[in-house]
Amino acid sequence: MFGKIIRNIAIAGLLASSVLGTPASAFERTDKGNVIVFGGRQAIPVLDPHIRYDWSTRMMQQAVYDGLVKYEGDPAVIKPWLAEKWETSEDGKTWTFHLVKNAKFHNGDPVTAEAIRYSFERGLKLNKGVAWMLKDFLAPEGISVVDDYTVKFELKAPYTPFLSFLPWWYIVNPAQVKANEVDGDYGQKWLTDNEAGSGPFKLGRWEPNVLYEAEAVADYWKGWPQGEENRPAGVIYKIIREPAAQKAALQRGEADIVEGLTPDDYVQIARAKGIAIEDHKGMTTFGIKFNTQQGPTADINLRKAIAYAMDYDALIQVYNGAASLETSPIPDAMRGHIDVPGIPRQDLAKAKEYLAKSGYPNGGITLPYVHVAGLEEARRIGLVLLDSLKPLNINVEIKPEQWPNMVANGSKVETSAAMTSVYTTPVSTDPDAVAYQYHKNSWGQYFAMMFYDNPKVTEMIDKARSSSNWDERAKLYADIQTQIVADQPEVFGMLQNRRWARRDYLQGFQFSPVRFTGEVDIYPLWVKAE
Amino acid sequence: MTAHPMTPIDTPMEDTRPLTFRERHASQIRQWRLYAHMFRKSFSSMLGLSLVVLFLILAAIGPLIVPYPEAASGAINMSAKLQPPSSTYWFGTDEMGADIFSRVIIGARTSLWIGVVITGIAAIVGITLGIIAGYRGGWVRAVIMRVTELFLAVPGLALALAIVAALGPGITNCVLALAIVWWPGYVRLVEAKTLSIKEELFIESARSIGAKTPWILWHHILPNCMSPIIVKMSMDMGMAILSAASLGFIGLGAQPPSPEWGAMISVARTYMPDWWWYSLFPGAAIFLTVLGFNLLGDGLRDILDPRSRDR
Amino acid sequence: MLTFAFRKLLTLVGTMIGIAALTFLITNVAPGDPARLVAGPNATEDMVATIRTEYGLDKSLPEQFIVYMGELVRGDLGTSIVTTRPVLEEVMRYAPATLELVFVAMFLGIVIGVPLGMLSAVYKDGPLDQVTRIFSISGVAIPAFWFGILLQLLFSVDLEWLPVSGRLPLVTRPPEFVTGLLLVDSLIAGNFSTFWTSLQHIILPAIVLSFPCLASILRVNRAEMIEVLQSDYIVAARAHGISSFRIIALYALKNAMLPTLAMIGLRFGWMLGSTVLVETVFDWPGIGLYAVSSALSSDFKPVVGVTLMIGFFFIVANTLVDLAYAWIDPRLRKA
Repeated sequence: MFGKIIRNIAIAGLLASSVLGTPASAFERTDKGNVIVFGGRQAIPVLDPHIRYDWSTRMMQQAVYDGLVKYEGDPAVIKPWLAEKWETSEDGKTWTFHLVKNAKFHNGDPVTAEAIRYSFERGLKLNKGVAWMLKDFLAPEGISVVDDYTVKFELKAPYTPFLSFLPWWYIVNPAQVKANEVDGDYGQKWLTDNEAGSGPFKLGRWEPNVLYEAEAVADYWKGWPQGEENRPAGVIYKIIREPAAQKAALQRGEADIVEGLTPDDYVQIARAKGIAIEDHKGMTTFGIKFNTQQGPTADINLRKAIAYAMDYDALIQVYNGAASLETSPIPDAMRGHIDVPGIPRQDLAKAKEYLAKSGYPNGGITLPYVHVAGLEEARRIGLVLLDSLKPLNINVEIKPEQWPNMVANGSKVETSAAMTSVYTTPVSTDPDAVAYQYHKNSWGQYFAMMFYDNPKVTEMIDKARSSSNWDERAKLYADIQTQIVADQPEVFGMLQNRRWARRDYLQGFQFSPVRFTGEVDIYPLWVKAE
Repeated sequence: MTAHPMTPIDTPMEDTRPLTFRERHASQIRQWRLYAHMFRKSFSSMLGLSLVVLFLILAAIGPLIVPYPEAASGAINMSAKLQPPSSTYWFGTDEMGADIFSRVIIGARTSLWIGVVITGIAAIVGITLGIIAGYRGGWVRAVIMRVTELFLAVPGLALALAIVAALGPGITNCVLALAIVWWPGYVRLVEAKTLSIKEELFIESARSIGAKTPWILWHHILPNCMSPIIVKMSMDMGMAILSAASLGFIGLGAQPPSPEWGAMISVARTYMPDWWWYSLFPGAAIFLTVLGFNLLGDGLRDILDPRSRDR
Repeated sequence: MLTFAFRKLLTLVGTMIGIAALTFLITNVAPGDPARLVAGPNATEDMVATIRTEYGLDKSLPEQFIVYMGELVRGDLGTSIVTTRPVLEEVMRYAPATLELVFVAMFLGIVIGVPLGMLSAVYKDGPLDQVTRIFSISGVAIPAFWFGILLQLLFSVDLEWLPVSGRLPLVTRPPEFVTGLLLVDSLIAGNFSTFWTSLQHIILPAIVLSFPCLASILRVNRAEMIEVLQSDYIVAARAHGISSFRIIALYALKNAMLPTLAMIGLRFGWMLGSTVLVETVFDWPGIGLYAVSSALSSDFKPVVGVTLMIGFFFIVANTLVDLAYAWIDPRLRKA
C-alpha cells in the first residue's frame, strides 16, 4: 500500500500545476445539471420536521417535505398544496381538507389521508418542535380519515388562526417511518438524517456540520415553476461560518447565494460585478424588553424616559439603512397593523421630564442590557443604548449571554434582566401570533420577558382570537396595539430588512416575509446560463 | 535574591559598626551586575524588555495620551464608522465609529489587568500548594500532586473553554477560568524545587538551631525557588494575555464596550478583508505584547536558570 | 519494566476517570438550560419537560453524574442534546479531520524545526541564532486566530492561491472512507486531483497550527545539540579529523533526537487542544469546531466528550514518552 501511495504522490505532484491553473467555476456543474450552492452560517442538526424548526432546518424541510398548504409571496398568502381545497364548519371547529390525487412520496407511495393523519398525530404525540402551535386546540383523536383523499380535523374550540399554522406541519410517509422505528420512537432516530417526504427535493449527500445536499426530484408531482429544462439538479446548503469566508465564496463563485453578512458587507459587496442583493422588508421585530414587574424598570416613567432617550436613527444606521422603525408592536406586513400615534421617538426634553417623575429623578443607576452572545447587531444596539442613556445619567451594562441561559433567566420574573434585546419572528401572518406575546399566558416564553400584565389587553386578545369576524378583530387589534404602546413594556425598535447576496445568474428568488430570517424557498430557484 | 533582614541567624557575628548597604550586599550586587551585562548583550532580551516597558507605560498613561479616550467607554459616532487609517484616526475606526488607535492603547490596561490577575492567582495558589507538597511529603503531597497531574492532563484552553461556556461569557469568568487551569504548572515547578532544596545542608542546619517551619519556608525555600518562578511568571504574563484573547475571539471574553484585544478581533473578523485595519492592529498589539513577555522571560531564563532552558 | 508499564496504565485509567469527573462537574454547575434551546423558541413548559426527561436532565446532579459515569465505563459518552446523536459517534466522525490536521502540522514542525534547531546550535549566539530565537518565540506569541486570518487575507483573498476554508471544495466527493484522512484516502483511491485540492485546503491551517510546536521542537533540538556538541566524544571525533558536517548530521543529531522526539510526543496532545482556534478560523470540521459549537449552545456532553478525547491522547502520548525514557534509562522506572 505504501508503495502505491508514494507513487501516487509523485503523480499528483506532476498534475499539480494543471489543477492550480483552473479558474473558479461560477456555479457547480455536475453531469446531471446545475447545482445551486447556498452558503449559510447555521447547521442543520436534526431534519425531522416534527422535532425542530429554525431557519436553516426549515429551509431544508420545506425542500424535501410538503405541507397541506404553503406560504408564498409578499405579502404572504396561503396557497393550496397537498390539499387542493378545504372547508370549515359553521361553528369554526371542524376543518375538512381534500387532497390532490397525484402527489406521491419519494419512494413512490401516494400521499393519502392516512399519511396526513399520521403526520399530525406524530407531531402532537412527540410534543416537540411544532407541537405548541396546535396542541391546545387539537388532540390526536380529533383527526380522522374520511376517505383516501379526505381528512377531517375537529378542534376542541373555534380557533381562527388554525390554518395559518398548517404550512409548518410537514407530511411524512407513515410506511417509511414505521419501517424504521426503534423502540416506539416514531422513527425519530431515523428521520434525524433521513427523510420520508414528498417534496421537490430528496436528500443527497448529508455531512452533518459540513454540507447538506438536496437533489431535485425529476418528476415532482407539482411540476417545476421554472420549467423542467431550467430546474437545477440540486441544491447544496454549505455551512460557512465566517462572514468573510462567505463573502469570498460568493465573489469567487463557490457559493451562489449567502446570508448573514454584516450590514456593511452588503453595502460593499453590492458594488461588486455579478452580484445582486435581495433586500426585503421582513416581519422580524426588534424590541428591548423591560422587566415590568421587578426592579427599576417596573416604573413606567423610567421606561418612558428610556424610550424617549433612545437614538432611533442610530438603530437604522446599525443596519446601514436596511431597516425601518416599528410604528406598532405588530409588524407592517401583518393584517390588522396600525400606525400607533405618538409612539416614542428621540426627545431628550421629554425623556428628562419622565425621568423627573420616576423614582430615579437624577438617574444614577446601572441597568443591564442582555443580548444573545454572538449576535453582532444586538451588541451594537447595546452600544447605541449605552450612548443614548448617558444624558439621563443611566449607565448600561452590556451582557452577552448564551441563548439557552438568556431564555432560562428570562422565564422567571425574579431572574429576568431589566432590559433584554429580543428579535421575534411571528410564525404566522395572523395578528394573534404577535398579540399573544402580550398575553399573560405567554409569561415564561422568551418573547414575553417583559412580563406584561394588563388585564384589559389580555381580555381583548382572548376575544380576538376566538372571533371569526375580521372587522371585529381588526378593531380589537387596533385597541390592543394602542394600549401596549401606552404601557411601554419595551422600547419598540425596528424591523430589519431580510437580506441575501446572490450571483446575478441565480433566478427565481421569491421572498415571503413569514419565513424566518435567512430562510429561502429553494423550490423556484434556477440558474440562468449565460 | 531577596534582601535578608538583619537577624541573628543571618549575621551571627558581633558588629562594631553597622555595615553599609553596599558592603552588606556586595556579592549580590556583583551578581546583578553580571546578570545585567549578560542581558544587555542579548538583542532578543533587550527587544523583549523594550516591548514590555512600552506596554507597561501605555497601560499606565494610555488613557491620558490617546486622542479619543471616550472611545473605550462606548462613545459612538456612526457618521465616522469604518474609516481607514488616516491622520485623524491613526488605526482607522470601527463599526461604531470609535477610534481604534485609542481603543488599542487603552486596551493595554485591560490586558495588563488580565495578565496580572491570572498569573497572580495562579502563582499564589500554585506556589503555596507546591511548597506544602514538597516540604510536607506523605499523603498531603500525594493528594496535591494527583490533582495537579489531573489538571495538567487536560489541555488548558479546552478546559477553560468548558468552564467559561458553563459560567457564561464575560471578562471576569474568563479570567477565573484561566486562573483555574493555570496554577498546576507552578505546583509542579515549586514542588520539584522544594524537594531538592529541603535536603540541603543549610536547611538542616537552620532546623537544627530551632528555626520554625514557616520561617524556613519563607527565608530559605521560597527565595531559592524564585528564579524559575520569575522566569515562568514572565512567560505566563504573555501566555495568559494570549489565552484570554483567544477566549475573547471565540466570543466568550470581555463584554463591550470594554477594549479587550481578543474581543475586538472577534468582532473585527466579520469585517475582513475589506476593513483589514480593524483586526490588524489589535492583533499586532497582542502579538507584540506576548512576544515581549516571552523574550523577556527567555532572556531571564538564560541568566537566572540556564540549566532549564529546554524544559 | 512490565510492572512499571502496568503502573503507568493504571494511572492512565485513573486520570481519565478524574478528567471525566472534573469536566462533567465544571460544565454542569452552569445555570444554562439546553433543553429549552432544543425545544424551540415557542415551546411550552411541558414540551421543555419532555426533552428534559428524555435526556435525564430532570434528575439531580449527583444522579446525573452517576448515570454518566456508568455510561462512560461502558464506553458511552452520552448523547448530544442538540444533534440527538451519540457523542462517541460524532467525535469519531470529526476526529479524522483533526488528526489529519495535526499530523500535517506536526510534519511541518519537524521538517522545519529540526534543521533550524541544528543550525542555531552550530552557530550558537551568532546572528542566525538570534533570528531563529525571535522567530521561534514569535511562533508561541502569535495569536493563532489572528495569524490564520492574515494568511487567509494574503493567500486566499488577495493572491487567490489557496481556498479560504473547509477541507474540500463543495461538490468534490470525498474519497472512499479508509482512514478518514483525505490525503491518504485519496491516494489509496488513486484520485490525484482530490489529493491535490485537499492538500491546498490543509496547508494554511496546518501552518498556523504548526507554528508554536515548531518553536518548541526548534528549541529542544537546539539545546540538546549544544550539549552534545560540547561532549567529549564529539570533541574527540573532531580531533580525529572527521568533517564537521558528518559530526553534526550523523553523531550529534542522532543523540539529540530522543529529547526532540519526547517533545514531539508532548506537543501532540497539546496540538489537539489548540485545534479549537484553528478549526474555528478555517471552518475545519474537526473535534475542535464541534466542541466550540457545542459549548456555544450549552450542549455539554460533547464538550466533556471532546475534552476526554483530547485528554486521552495527551496522556497516552505522555505515557509513551515516559515508557520510552524508562526503557532507555532504567533508573527512571522507580519514579
